[in-house]
Amino acid sequence: MAQLKLEHVDKIYDNKVQAVFDFNLDVKDGELIVLVGPSGCGKSTTLRMIAGLEDISNGKLILDGKDITQTPAKDRDMAMVFQNYALYGHMTIYENMAFSLTLRKEDPNVIHKKVLAAAEILGLTEQLNKKPSQLSGGQRQRVAMGRSIVRNPKVFLFDEPLSNLDAKLRGATRREILLLHKRLKATMLYVTHDQTEALTLADRIVCMSMGHVQQVGTPLELYDSPNNLFVASFIGLPPMNFFDVKVEAGRLVGEQFTVSLNAEDQATLAGYVGKEITLGVRPENIEEGGEVCMNVFSNENLGMNTLVHGHLGNSKKASDKITAKLRGWCDHKAGDTVKLHFTRMHFFDKETTNAIRKGEA
Amino acid sequence: MTNENREIELDRMRFTKNTLSSGLALLAILFNVFFFVSIYKSDVSSYYYNILIGASILYNLIFMLAAFLASEGIKNYKVAYSWLLILLGIIQIARIFIYPMTAHAATVTIKDQVITVMETPQFVRCVVYLCASAVCCLVSAVIGFKKSSDLSGHLAAMAKKAA
Repeated sequence: MAQLKLEHVDKIYDNKVQAVFDFNLDVKDGELIVLVGPSGCGKSTTLRMIAGLEDISNGKLILDGKDITQTPAKDRDMAMVFQNYALYGHMTIYENMAFSLTLRKEDPNVIHKKVLAAAEILGLTEQLNKKPSQLSGGQRQRVAMGRSIVRNPKVFLFDEPLSNLDAKLRGATRREILLLHKRLKATMLYVTHDQTEALTLADRIVCMSMGHVQQVGTPLELYDSPNNLFVASFIGLPPMNFFDVKVEAGRLVGEQFTVSLNAEDQATLAGYVGKEITLGVRPENIEEGGEVCMNVFSNENLGMNTLVHGHLGNSKKASDKITAKLRGWCDHKAGDTVKLHFTRMHFFDKETTNAIRKGEA
Repeated sequence: MTNENREIELDRMRFTKNTLSSGLALLAILFNVFFFVSIYKSDVSSYYYNILIGASILYNLIFMLAAFLASEGIKNYKVAYSWLLILLGIIQIARIFIYPMTAHAATVTIKDQVITVMETPQFVRCVVYLCASAVCCLVSAVIGFKKSSDLSGHLAAMAKKAA
């Protein structure tokens, strides 16, 4: 059992730069939490604070009801997997995996059992006599995970473990991590800037920007109901399209288009009639045939779908660019005009950038 | 030791080196170094202008090379190196009778004074170093042989089980 709680955690460096602001999170036992955000948003700093590699400036870190804010890293019973594997090149895989237990002077026979069990889980049994340099990047990362598994820690911490791998290997290793989590049922915190990793791995995602938590929720919640413009723009590939529009009775009026609102959207925007808001539309929520006119400038066929990029109406402004992910194989040429229909829309307050939800106006 | 522990200990050898045997072989080299730095003296005149000196230097080099190779081989449970270490150990014992003993019994006259080529303290030191070196070689070989045999037996049993 391992429940981790972060209460009002701040990180302020000696030069007074604040990297993390009032971070609060309650991680349940066996949960896989992914911290996601752009580079420099404070996600790795948060993970390092949890691991004990960075001091916590303010706030509390609680593991299973015990305050471990001041506990040294070695006594926290957490294992960290780094992006660069951090394996000892002169040791075999077996020795690398056994190393932490050897340092603790555990019985060699017990170490042997644990290493073999971890190697079995990770499919490394045949590689145990090899040196790290003889393994592929994915295998090395598995060794790094194995080194954590043998310790049987309360919490696993992963700091962008797949960043050094090529795209194909990243996908395969990602699936292995997911299987590992299901098998071990361990509490895991995983840091990445890759939203695909976040969406596919997480039980819950913590989306961060500039040291602040923007939203905590399930992958579907973040994708479907983003809290604000940042989360909406960060989650989803290709990213969401944003337009400035004015709310009028039963419709939204932009510079280049007008769209009518259904009853539910009208209810959501009831308090915004006559005001300007930001409209967000995901490329996959756009279909051909409707009231919005797009002037195509490029067409990317992906097989199952086609990404069509263009400008709204006759505008050439960057803010009027739109990307639509249309179903099937399309052959739109540059200069073609395509009529579009928005099947799902997200609304954001222009001043606060927060999402406008029903009953919140 | 329970059967299970014995089994695990054997299995561990698949992934760990025989550092005990290897370390003993390196220790044998160290004792040999102590031996050869204490055997040569420059104040005993012509006795040392002997083919034995050259042969001794040459053999010391050969011994160190062979013992080092054996230490690496035995570390990886290669049984052939156990035989090499046994041979080296026997030669180290034989050396006691070839060189230190001859020098201990020999005298030389320098400026009308009869001097024993190798005085007793130096002789004892040399004998102790050679003996220690020999014992290290032999113990290393025996342990290496035992472990290598155990490991090959274990691997054979595993292969049989897998088949």
